[in-house]
Amino acid sequence: MSRRSAIPHGSSTSILSLVFPFALAASVSQAQVEEFTPVTDAMLVNPPSGEWLSWRGTPAAWGYSPLDQIDSSNVNQLQLKWSFALDDTGAIQAAPLVHGGVMFIPSARGVITALDAASGDLLWEYRPAPPTEEFINSGAGTRAAVLLPGAFAGVGRGVQKNIAIYGEMIYAATETASIRAIDARSGLLAWETQVADPTLGYHYTAGPIVANGTLVTGITGCDRYKEDVCFITGHDPQTGAEKWRTATVARPEDPGGDTWGDLPLRFRAGSDAWVAGSFDPEANLIYWGTAQAKPWARVVRGTDGDALYTNSTLALNPDNGNMAWYFQHIPGETQDMDEVFENILIDVDGRKSLFKMGKLGILWQLDRETGEFIKGTDIGYQNIVNLDPITGRITYRDGMIPRLGEELDMCPSTSGVKSWRAMAYSPDTSAMYIPITLNCARNTFGPTERALGGGGTGPVRRSNYHHPDSDGNLGEVLALDIPSGEVKWRYRTRAPFNTAALTTGGGLVFIGDWNRTMSALDADNGDLLWQVRLATSNQGFPISYSVDGKQYIAMPVGTGGASWSGSLPRELAPELSRPNNGSSINVFALPD
Amino acid sequence: MTRILLSTFSLLLLSATQALSHAQEAPSIWDGIYSAEQASRGEAVYREACLSCHGQDLGGNSNSPGLVGMGFMFLWEGRSVGEFYEKIRSEMPTDRPGRLSDKDYVDVVSYILQKNGFPSGDSTMQPDVSRLDSVEIAPQ
Repeated sequence: MSRRSAIPHGSSTSILSLVFPFALAASVSQAQVEEFTPVTDAMLVNPPSGEWLSWRGTPAAWGYSPLDQIDSSNVNQLQLKWSFALDDTGAIQAAPLVHGGVMFIPSARGVITALDAASGDLLWEYRPAPPTEEFINSGAGTRAAVLLPGAFAGVGRGVQKNIAIYGEMIYAATETASIRAIDARSGLLAWETQVADPTLGYHYTAGPIVANGTLVTGITGCDRYKEDVCFITGHDPQTGAEKWRTATVARPEDPGGDTWGDLPLRFRAGSDAWVAGSFDPEANLIYWGTAQAKPWARVVRGTDGDALYTNSTLALNPDNGNMAWYFQHIPGETQDMDEVFENILIDVDGRKSLFKMGKLGILWQLDRETGEFIKGTDIGYQNIVNLDPITGRITYRDGMIPRLGEELDMCPSTSGVKSWRAMAYSPDTSAMYIPITLNCARNTFGPTERALGGGGTGPVRRSNYHHPDSDGNLGEVLALDIPSGEVKWRYRTRAPFNTAALTTGGGLVFIGDWNRTMSALDADNGDLLWQVRLATSNQGFPISYSVDGKQYIAMPVGTGGASWSGSLPRELAPELSRPNNGSSINVFALPD
Repeated sequence: MTRILLSTFSLLLLSATQALSHAQEAPSIWDGIYSAEQASRGEAVYREACLSCHGQDLGGNSNSPGLVGMGFMFLWEGRSVGEFYEKIRSEMPTDRPGRLSDKDYVDVVSYILQKNGFPSGDSTMQPDVSRLDSVEIAPQ
């Protein structure tokens, strides 16, 4: 089997067509993918069972692989087949893709690696180079060109959670607010398009998806006050040209603009779109979440209005960006209870539904054709709001709206019951498997400067503590029956879980924790079936795929990422420790 | 006359005692507890190790608190420079806490103090936690 052919090292980027270059691309290709079948829209929607073509498997984002070679009877025989070190200079929350026996992995700082998915052999690595001194001094016509990498506000550590594959390209969104197309065969940069000005804080941590031939990305970095807002864009995948841009904040003159009170545009912050969306090809709608308003607390923000379209699910037409509907989960949210996360598309009794869960731990079921509320299941770990089971309307409990400088005892903490660690749905068990973090905090919200460049989340004095119902555990995998919302089982650990859940046709749930332990659970009853310790914290999105009839499970590990990844274990489980390096992808299979 | 001399002597003695007592009091953050050169070194360390999360203007982002202005004072007013130094030294950078030298950490602290308007002085701040613990972060 040959998936590669040698080409000279240090290949030039001769097909560059940069629109606004921050970094001169330096793709260090070592080989190229020889046998590559272009990925079509039909393949994305219905991928072959052994492929993993979207960040959560399919556009419906189930996090489910139908592969069943590895099951509850043999999972205890899993062996490490190969491991590959990933870039360690930033944060890793990798969601790999697999196509044609090749694994494509995003890691920190824009690095993308292509590996033979069966052997782990390196095929190519794309690594953006920093701008040269000559380039910086050239004045190149833009103020951004004189900046060194990272010399802009609020970028983080180069997280790129997911990438997309379509046609013959791998698509990535960058920490410098650009999108890139990289030739999937060679690893060479095809084009790069600047989408927003990173000096204002704009950047990407979520990657793109492809929906009905349009490349869609959601921007983040909208916490600081500026004369513009967050948005989602659609692009031509051939050229990167922007087709449409939909703001995620209602401007003063827009419908819903009054939900921010009389705040001018510059003080309407937040609504970041920092988790990739889902796509229903029949409805021709993409579903994308938005984050909470900034600053977090109403009293600091200066309005107690609903603040559209923050903390909402948006249904957009991928052809033109038109908003078909929106559902705001927590109007006027005021404690950093984000609802931006993954949207899981499931048809329940013939009704096309969308499921999602935010930091509060409420499992929402919406009609994904209309946006109508169907059901909400509060899993019972929060003390902040009440949910009307008929309307889905949230109301704050007495005393739970923060006041400036006054301590508030809240469950969860700003870390949330759930965060970016995506849940998975199995059609075999009709269950949702949810990575839960058990925690509470005594928080005091403070003021910020209301001026351009100011704002942000607002300062919070925090004192985290264990959830009273946790028995000292931080981590829980919760299995909920769909659609009833009844608890099927719980599996708890001292360490918090730090990856998405993966479920398979073999009746298994794979998940990894902060304390280096990767586990396989029985999807029916939560029984622990297999464990292994890895180099450092499990972190990212595990996947399953097959090559030549053999099933593999891949688990990314790494550090950095969302803040609690360090703070909660350090404060509440201080006896645990993990190395602060060791980012890698680890692949397991049954013995040959 | 003798009484006057004694009273004068007593006053001088009292003044000297008060001055000595004042000298032994905890140093103020407004006394110039770091040097400008040190803050300049700290800026270089900040740009390498801290900027990508806390921003060029130290304003922070969704996952990293701001280190200047109202937000910084809300979080740190009334706490000691030693506590701030220990927090940074033990937890930062979050991907590899403790990877900098003590000198680098204390230089970064001096840079952050400078950006918050606390004045520099002639002396270099040392990574001496017990001494830094006696310096309170306080408005003037």
